[in-house]
Amino acid sequence: MNLKKAAAVLLMLVLVASLAACGGGGGEEEPAASTELNIYMWNEYISDELIANFEAENNCKVNLSYMSDNADAITKLTAGGGQEYDLIMTCDAYMESLVAGDYVQPINFDNVPNATANINEAYWAAKEYCVPYLMNYIYVVYDTERCPIEITGYQDLVDPALAGEIGSVDGARNLFPIALVALGYDPNSTEESEIAEAYEWLVDYNNNVVAYGGTELNITNGTVSVIFTYDGNASWAMSELGENNNLVIAPFESDPVQLGFDLYVIPKGAAHVDLAEKFLNYICVPEVMAANLEEFPYSCPNDAAVAVASDTYKNDPARDFGYKQNVFFQEDVGEAITIYNDYYQKLKVGE
Amino acid sequence: MAMSQRAKKKKSLKLLADFYAILIYAIFYIPVVVMMVFSFNDQRNNYYWAGFTTKWYGELFNNHALTDSLWYSVVIAVLATLISVTIGTIGALGLRKFEFKGRRFINQMLYIPIIVPEIVLAVAILVVFMTVGVRLGMGSILIGHCTFCIPYAVVTIKGRISGDDNSMEEASMDLGANRLQTFFRVTLPSIMPGVMSAAFLSFTLSIDDVVMSNMLAGAKQSTLPVLILSMSRSGVTPDANALTTLMILIIVIAMVLNNYVKSALKKRRKKEVNL
Amino acid sequence: MKKKNRLPALAMAGPVSVWMILFVTIPMFFIIFISFMSRGIFGDVVYDPSMESYLTLLDSTYFNVISKSLKVAAFTTLACLGLGYPFAYYIAKRPKDQAAKYITLIMIPFWTNTLMRLNSWLLLFQTSGPVNNFLQNSGITDAPVRFVYTDELVALGMVTSMLPFAVLPMYSSIEKLNKSLLEASADLGADAKTTFQKITLPLTFPGIFSAIILVFIPSLGVYTVPDMLGGGKVLYIGNIIKNQFGMIRNWPLGAALSCLLIAITGLLIFLYTRFTSIEEMEVV
Repeated sequence: MNLKKAAAVLLMLVLVASLAACGGGGGEEEPAASTELNIYMWNEYISDELIANFEAENNCKVNLSYMSDNADAITKLTAGGGQEYDLIMTCDAYMESLVAGDYVQPINFDNVPNATANINEAYWAAKEYCVPYLMNYIYVVYDTERCPIEITGYQDLVDPALAGEIGSVDGARNLFPIALVALGYDPNSTEESEIAEAYEWLVDYNNNVVAYGGTELNITNGTVSVIFTYDGNASWAMSELGENNNLVIAPFESDPVQLGFDLYVIPKGAAHVDLAEKFLNYICVPEVMAANLEEFPYSCPNDAAVAVASDTYKNDPARDFGYKQNVFFQEDVGEAITIYNDYYQKLKVGE
Repeated sequence: MAMSQRAKKKKSLKLLADFYAILIYAIFYIPVVVMMVFSFNDQRNNYYWAGFTTKWYGELFNNHALTDSLWYSVVIAVLATLISVTIGTIGALGLRKFEFKGRRFINQMLYIPIIVPEIVLAVAILVVFMTVGVRLGMGSILIGHCTFCIPYAVVTIKGRISGDDNSMEEASMDLGANRLQTFFRVTLPSIMPGVMSAAFLSFTLSIDDVVMSNMLAGAKQSTLPVLILSMSRSGVTPDANALTTLMILIIVIAMVLNNYVKSALKKRRKKEVNL
Repeated sequence: MKKKNRLPALAMAGPVSVWMILFVTIPMFFIIFISFMSRGIFGDVVYDPSMESYLTLLDSTYFNVISKSLKVAAFTTLACLGLGYPFAYYIAKRPKDQAAKYITLIMIPFWTNTLMRLNSWLLLFQTSGPVNNFLQNSGITDAPVRFVYTDELVALGMVTSMLPFAVLPMYSSIEKLNKSLLEASADLGADAKTTFQKITLPLTFPGIFSAIILVFIPSLGVYTVPDMLGGGKVLYIGNIIKNQFGMIRNWPLGAALSCLLIAITGLLIFLYTRFTSIEEMEVV
């Protein structure tokens, strides 16, 4: 009898002990707050050297965790990110909601003078709460050899000749704007009738699309001949196919393209704000960012950095197009986001 | 004449069965082989074959993120398996044997983690943790993993013990063994294939889990699947393939060694018996 | 007498009960609770009771996505049962000391990463990949065939991902079969087919049932396979729910959808157990 009781108690103890030990181990607290910096961002998006140099200069450890989806960052932020991270990367479209929901804290730009000095104002919404890191144009690229038609505007993308030829990025706020522009409406429209029309347009578009995601892969291996993609991906595809590739950026005549930003925010309640601000100041140093751009040649809102970047970067064919100024930004659409989401779901679920 | 015809039929059936088994194993292993081959791919994004190189095996040991996360995942998986199989086995037995208030309720609760999409359970557990103030880290991930491993273990073992009666246990206790001895010497050995299946299932579920690990991870360390998921946007680098290939090699070597030791011991025992 | 029996019950069923209550019941109450709450403008949960989420579910989109997901799950389950049962039988017939090896061999691929394995199928069947190259070089086709981003590839991915979850419980149940029963049946004049139908199948039914549960239900909620191998063109219920907790940030709707899914699955299990004598087998 006693043996049984003992066994039962022992089992419970082992259980509790193992949990406590592991839980405790995971939640170690650093005594001095400024020796550790926890960042949550995209993978393959910042140079290891940059991080290492920052660590050396500031005698600290930078912990990088990676997200696989914008949604991950939002969930972390809104479900209690401040406890775990000091810097989280998100995109401009969410800033209004995040600020209104009190999930991020204002940045003291006295500590980040390099940002104020070097970042292009035009690319900086929600200025007190974020620092833009990199940006991307979302445009159309196609293979002149394999694509059956010439593409001069979004409307060409629903041409039946392009059935089975298109690879596209995904996301309601990437897809609906191009439909709205093609139909002559504001890409950030909040009118249900316009969004409904955009949905019909996208049904035709969807019929031409082979796959969402992996655009740069699909155009280089011949699965598709047209992609609606980020300029970073296009850059990879172009360099992969070599000097004499047939990829061109679609010569749009009047349609604007979307320009989106990846920004750093400091979540409410972050533990190491001082280091976070030092980091933000560090990445805005032109030479530092320019070196970073060598490894990750994406478009950058830091004008000073672009100015001192290498020629390969400056001459990147993926950024060589004439209508760079003809851009629109993703604005928060307030309550209309549910209309977008419902139609997006309808589009993807099909009939 | 009839005998040898039947023997022939049996032989061809056996061949067919062997062929079928090999086919199924092939389907399981084709992706693994492809993955191993691509660990030698000379292209960082690993999108398609671009040439042979062994450099990734060297790069792997510089990639602390990968190796740290592998270790983290294995530790969690081993712990999760131990906890889940223990709780699951005694739970399955106990739930079957004993009538108590709320037994039906617990049985139904066990299905919830299997039915509910993992994201829902993960978010729910996350919010509960946040509300209570639990820090995220290995403990939280471990709890998340066990929460879905335990039901899988229970269901597997139930499938095994279904229809069993208590006669063996009763006989054992009549012969003087107490409950604990009966459990270890009679019950457990008879359900061992079920326990083994449950252990394998739990380990696999844990080491491959993405959703729960993503949600409940702390800032300092991710598990391997979460790390690989974050790489998938820009192509999983071949050093991850190299890591997995090495993992498989280690397991296979361990299995072969285990087999060798076992058969050596068997031979020695046979010798002893014959003496 | 009752007091004497309490401790073993507590020791055995106690840990699992406590765990379930702490980490399943409580979180699930939370999910049910927020399914009756509202979504704030910025995607936060506003504690303002409303039936809005459930009313949204009446839209035909959700009916479509649920029926699509059910079809995919049903197909996957049938395929896994059909392919898996003979395989499980084969392993169960191996000598007992060898069985562990065979089982381990099945599991090893699944200790490698799911994403990487799915990606391998993509690499294999790509437009300029090995399969297409082989087909073209050997003259079977003239131009590359698009295998990737098709329903067929998704089906392949689903079945290969779920097969072990069918094989393991079925193996465990088949292994238990008393050989003497089969021999007795043969001695009484039954041929192989009858023995299988009347003896083997019914006795291994608990394993089959476990397999159905472990394959059908998770198949309903899976989204990684259609995402990767299907090119993200079709959303299933798993994607929809994930999006509610992700990009779309409508937690009440996600919660309501999950409750609906649980209700549907619970109903299916209930009907199933009603029409078969599963309950006697004490698997449920």
